[in-house]
Amino acid sequence: MPRTSTLDCPGCPPLRALTFDELGLIKVVEARGKQGRAEPKVVERWGDPDSSKCVLAASIDDRNSDPLLAVARRNGTVEVLNPLNGDLRFSVSNASINGVQSEDDPVAGLHLFAKKKSELASRSCTLLTCTTKGNASIRSFEVNKSAADVASTGSSRTWSVGGGGSILCSKVDGSENYFLSGGKRVEMNVWDLESCAKIWTAKPPPKNSLGIFTPTWFTSATFLSKDDHRKFVAGTNSHEVRLFDISAQRRPVISFDFRETAIKSVAEDLDGYTIYVGNGSGDLASFDIRTGKLLGCFLGKCSGSIRSIARHPEFPVIASCGLDSYLRLWNVKTRQLLSAVHLKQHLTNVLFDSNFADEEAEIAHSAADWPLHEDERDEGKTPPVKRKKSKEKKGIKKEAEAKSGNREDERDEPLHEDERDEGETPPVKRKKSKEKKGIKKEAEAKSGNKESSEEYGGKKVKSKKSSKRLKM
Amino acid sequence: MGGNDKRKRSESEGGDEQPIEKKREILPSMIKNKEKRSAIHAKLKQQKKLEKRKKAKARDAAEKRALELGEELPAKKIPKTIENTREFDETVCKPDDEELFAGNDADEFSSILKRERTPKILITTCRFHSSRGPDLIKELLSVIPNAHYYKRGTYDLKKIVEFANKKDFTSIIVVHTNRREPDAFVIIGLPTGPTAHFKLSNLVLRKDIKNHGNPTSHEPELVLNNFTTRLGHRIGRSIQSLFPQEPNFPGRRVVTFHNQRDFIFFRHHRYIFEAKETKQTESKGKKTKDAKGESEPQGKVIARLQECGPRFTLKLLSLQHGTFDTKGGEYEWVHKPEMDTSRRRFFL
Repeated sequence: MPRTSTLDCPGCPPLRALTFDELGLIKVVEARGKQGRAEPKVVERWGDPDSSKCVLAASIDDRNSDPLLAVARRNGTVEVLNPLNGDLRFSVSNASINGVQSEDDPVAGLHLFAKKKSELASRSCTLLTCTTKGNASIRSFEVNKSAADVASTGSSRTWSVGGGGSILCSKVDGSENYFLSGGKRVEMNVWDLESCAKIWTAKPPPKNSLGIFTPTWFTSATFLSKDDHRKFVAGTNSHEVRLFDISAQRRPVISFDFRETAIKSVAEDLDGYTIYVGNGSGDLASFDIRTGKLLGCFLGKCSGSIRSIARHPEFPVIASCGLDSYLRLWNVKTRQLLSAVHLKQHLTNVLFDSNFADEEAEIAHSAADWPLHEDERDEGKTPPVKRKKSKEKKGIKKEAEAKSGNREDERDEPLHEDERDEGETPPVKRKKSKEKKGIKKEAEAKSGNKESSEEYGGKKVKSKKSSKRLKM
Repeated sequence: MGGNDKRKRSESEGGDEQPIEKKREILPSMIKNKEKRSAIHAKLKQQKKLEKRKKAKARDAAEKRALELGEELPAKKIPKTIENTREFDETVCKPDDEELFAGNDADEFSSILKRERTPKILITTCRFHSSRGPDLIKELLSVIPNAHYYKRGTYDLKKIVEFANKKDFTSIIVVHTNRREPDAFVIIGLPTGPTAHFKLSNLVLRKDIKNHGNPTSHEPELVLNNFTTRLGHRIGRSIQSLFPQEPNFPGRRVVTFHNQRDFIFFRHHRYIFEAKETKQTESKGKKTKDAKGESEPQGKVIARLQECGPRFTLKLLSLQHGTFDTKGGEYEWVHKPEMDTSRRRFFL
């Protein structure tokens, strides 16, 4: 019997995402909800549809006070907006600096610097733009009260990054001192932004056993972690993902294939070793870059090329968007589709606004935690021993609390669903199981202590426990 | 021991009546004896038939009574079909969607559909083709005005795209044959337009159609049916951009692309309006009525169709962003097997 209804999506935690499309529209998608199971909706739309204003690149600086959003459009302008209400702060033309027709030389990469240069005033912003033909420039702008007034301060630097090819991807690392660029017929280059000098160039892999050389064509790149500028991942047109390590060698350290179409976007996780790869036919997967092994694919009837992937800074959620005009939100842990929003146009970029609805999020934390979020917290920050303690306590308390719908159970709901189920079985049986659990817990606490020094101790213990619980 | 068995058997025989009754209630397919099974099955079928007839009779009677009494007829029941129980799709185009029209204005076909460019089509084939392939191309040339056939030779499709761009073609059609039978159809929009890749099946050529007509060289009218979603809309526009936007109505030629359950049916007809005279002769007795109706046009005008040209079915396999590029291409839509989890899900 075929399934006749669509899969219901469980909804996502409160978040705010900005999407950019080929008609130059910026759409704000928000998910609000007490329980963290909100259905995301389009709440705002900025701009008028105009194909010449197609958004090519976007960058956000989402600090707490006075956040900024930079958007590069096809007609050669770079607009700086307020990401909260969409007010245009100022817009500058890219063509005037380079003296080239902007239509022929569209922007390939854009970065809005979050860090303030100390000598500059507080109300200024620094933009790095990189065009397809390889003209990179860093410009600072003074933002005055009146939106129209823009004064370009002295520190404007321009240099060339493309050696005859076309730049397709560029990225600035977390410390904002290094700049990465690459593209069609251009190897990956790392630049020092202080001196605008090339500090490293990649070397193409050798010819294969048949003597065939695959031409250089990088389509996407990202740094692996925020603190480390030495490791980065690049996706190529020949459906290969390559890991480069500046400190090790010029050739890729690891390179592996992913499906049959060109890699179109690569994004890193917060943990520094998981990467998300999206390709031209709408396949999205996560890889462990240390081993190059596929962790799993994100399945959800997605069939349009994935142009952009964004990782939420707090929740274990990624957003992907592309030519199928859907914004899709995925759970990183279970790789389940949380929700999809149809945005009607071919999308080019997606960004998260991390400062969204702090107060709501806090409420959500204190009342009933979003399960995924808690999962992450448990695995990452708190040592496994601590969690067991609380459970032991619960074991003692349980009899007292069993009648009054106890709070602790509510909080730990998602993790201990099976325990709740036990509540329905006759009480004698439950006692037994509890005793058993107590014994096991002690044993596990020891092993947990041992293993906690290891990297993945927590995970292992957890999986063991769950299996035991199932047996009971 | 044997006595025990006998007793058991007799017990089971004694208690047989109840299980048989149960069995009859369950399913005839569970009966192993073929004759019995078929007999019971036939009986059940007969029963169902009678019930159905009864229902229909009751319905007809109710209708008749309503007619006599001048009441409102009972509402006609709409049969459930796969199409009208189709899965909800939020991408279905709505007529009040301003973003849709803005998107239409900005897309690759708008210059052709706004009549700024006249469509000029290049038709070519796969590398080796024979038999029904050339026949289909001959007929396509007669269907699509301003279409030009170029031999494929050994050129890459990318080179052909370049060539066509230079010569100001607006679209390329590639007919792909496999084992002397056309089986794929590619429509490439130029210069930047999307590439739609179709599967072609059920091809019937003109000479195999009975009483077929021969098309004239007038510009045909175009009928695009049921392209509802955003994807369907886009496919519809790409097909629309193959044909001239001003049909030559005296030619009375119609080309139809009818979408049903994601299959696009291609038909090519000539039509004619004829005043039916037979009716007038019949209605001689009702001259009074005719006298009243003389102010209206006389007789009944009917349209007669004559099929001409090929007949085939297309099914979309992928829609690629940009011109033909299998290696680095980005797809707007690809058919993936995981989409086929429901019979009621359609994409066009």
